[in-house]
Amino acid sequence: MTKTSIIIFVLFLCAFGGFVAYDLATAKRRKEVYRVKSTATAYLMLLPAIALAFLFILLPILYSLGYAFTDYYLLKPNEINIVFFKNFVQIFEEISEKGMLYNAIKNTATFVIGVVPLQIGLALFLALFVNRPGIGSKIFKVCFFAPVVISLSITAFLWEQILAPGEGGLLNAMLGMVGVPPHDWLRDPKTAMPCIIILSAWQGCGYQMLIFLSGLSNIRKDLYEAASLDGANWWHKFWNVTWVGLRSTIVYILITVFIGACRILTQPMLMTGYMDHTVTLSYYMYNSGYTERFVGESSAVALLMTIFIGGVTLIQRRLFREK
Amino acid sequence: MKRFIASIISALLVVITLFGVTSCTGGGGGGGEPTVDAEGNTIVKIMFHVDKSSTEGQAYQKRINAFNAAYKDQKIKAQPIFKARSAGASGYETELQNNQLEGTLADIITFDAPNTAAYASSGLLYDISDLIPKEDQDKFYSLNMYNGRLYGLPIQESSAGFFYNKKIFRAAGIDVSGYTAENPWTLDEFRAVCESLKRYGVTAVDMRIDATKDETAPYLLYPFIYATGGSFVSSDGLTASGYYNSAATAEGFEFIKGLIKDGYTSYAIGATDFFTGKVGMYLSSGWTIPDLDNKYREYFASRDDWGLLPYPKGVEAASATGSWSYAITNNHHTDKTAALELLKWMTSAESSEAITNATGMIPARKDVVKNYAPGSPEYTLMKQLELSGRERPVTIAYPTFSTTFNRVIYSLENGSVKDLLNSATNTLQDAIDKIKNRG
Repeated sequence: MTKTSIIIFVLFLCAFGGFVAYDLATAKRRKEVYRVKSTATAYLMLLPAIALAFLFILLPILYSLGYAFTDYYLLKPNEINIVFFKNFVQIFEEISEKGMLYNAIKNTATFVIGVVPLQIGLALFLALFVNRPGIGSKIFKVCFFAPVVISLSITAFLWEQILAPGEGGLLNAMLGMVGVPPHDWLRDPKTAMPCIIILSAWQGCGYQMLIFLSGLSNIRKDLYEAASLDGANWWHKFWNVTWVGLRSTIVYILITVFIGACRILTQPMLMTGYMDHTVTLSYYMYNSGYTERFVGESSAVALLMTIFIGGVTLIQRRLFREK
Repeated sequence: MKRFIASIISALLVVITLFGVTSCTGGGGGGGEPTVDAEGNTIVKIMFHVDKSSTEGQAYQKRINAFNAAYKDQKIKAQPIFKARSAGASGYETELQNNQLEGTLADIITFDAPNTAAYASSGLLYDISDLIPKEDQDKFYSLNMYNGRLYGLPIQESSAGFFYNKKIFRAAGIDVSGYTAENPWTLDEFRAVCESLKRYGVTAVDMRIDATKDETAPYLLYPFIYATGGSFVSSDGLTASGYYNSAATAEGFEFIKGLIKDGYTSYAIGATDFFTGKVGMYLSSGWTIPDLDNKYREYFASRDDWGLLPYPKGVEAASATGSWSYAITNNHHTDKTAALELLKWMTSAESSEAITNATGMIPARKDVVKNYAPGSPEYTLMKQLELSGRERPVTIAYPTFSTTFNRVIYSLENGSVKDLLNSATNTLQDAIDKIKNRG
């Protein structure tokens, strides 16, 4: 593996060097002396970052891509055979048999459909709330952003205590005060995923709130004044000025939240374990590749997931393209 | 032009990766002979799963130091490597796999006993059947066997049982003094005690059915399946169908389900409910003893306030066992003489006693005499281990077994036992077949 990594790295460096040489040659042909120097400097400065990105991002992706077509079993790392599309056939068989992978896809879809609008909506609402001038706005900003800086493991643990079954759980204790009997929120298939969606939206929306705030600051104030002069009410101003002004911000947030939601792992892993009603695609991959040691099959799922996320992201970009 | 070159390079990278990953071979490591240092000592590397500064790590270090002193003249020197399981057991396993890939496997490793089959079948472990005489093998409570061959020797042993609150039992008028490791109670008697506790007004027993995120539930609950005559896999570990979903296995799970349905146990019992006097019994391993002795003095002032009962027996008696073991690895060193000397040293009666004194666990060897008072919790655990200890299923797909067992327990309250077991059986059989067919 080390040898392969070195070969790939050398090839990558050669390719990088080729691009640099091509660029320099083009510049020279055009007799742009100054550009040659600046281009060389730029490439040299880029090199460390590119090398690191290659080692820690591109190389693992390439390996995962390669493993998807092999029977790599973690306990036999020296005996890897190419099996071509066998892993993919197995994947589709498991989906058709409604096995754990089917549950993982279903649960991930439920999570994405639930969390994307909720998290974005909540973030936009909070951004609009704290964007107004007032004494408490900075305090609110800090409060709303605080969950983002807390580790996901800790928030998952805290919410597990809140949602604990029996009368010991905070939520059950509070509901008990108004006569609602205790409920096992995370074990009940009907409530487990909604709980995880709410927790995730609460945890993540502070970050998107900041991006929305940045977007809001770029909207010219005179547009609101003009709208007011035209007799626009709050909704008209929001829809025709704010929403339009935030369009590119929303596209960015939509894509990043969607990708993040597709990759959900920590919350179900820590809060429920590997169970039918909360297993997600990333958790399935982790379990299949790491716990059960079937790296080949796990990589094949990862490849399909990457293609799916890439495809949906492209569609999102096209749908929201500026006309 | 740029886009064309980029496409060619990308395709090349993918092709090289694809062929590169399939041509991986272990690194060198200096040929087949063991490493020899400048002073002519044969170096034997041994990798432990704990931190050097931990009590257990220090105990290992002391035994290594003693070995190096004793084998100075024979020019064998043990070199410990401590790789603490900071990211759980899987993190340590990843380290092993990396070492295997790079050809830098230590001569001896420690490993969790349920992994014996998977590690042995993958060629990670060295077959020591012919190196350890039969009379020495008989000195251990359990051995790391796979397909009738010996691949490891246990460091220490564990057992579990039902810790009970004597104050509650006395108040409820329940007498369990007759139930000992030698004369365990029956499943019916266990249910009768649960009923009495329920009538008294406390939750009868914390069966740990909520502990399904890791190995806790499988470790504590699998003996109930053996007790009803059930099993999980065939004796060669390759067949789950007909075992995991057999009627006897279903009976074991039905028994646990019955405890939930009758309100004797539940998923909602808090982690400290037993320790704060809200629950009558608590299923756990020996590691709970120090907690009861030291941590909850407010509720358990002395050992007069709590006791330990064995696993109830059904058609047969069965109790939980298993801990970590030592094994010689199949690394590039073909001469295993020095490694064998170290293995024998680390599993000797002296080492076994020293290490279990540090960890509080049960010695792996029968000839290590710990003078526990008859009837004491430690005595009950050790005697139970000797009389009814049964290891977890030996299968190459143990992680899948563990996952499926957890899923069955998790869904037991509302699910059909038959359906749950059929699903678990299919999943486990698929995993076994996948590994088996891979060769």
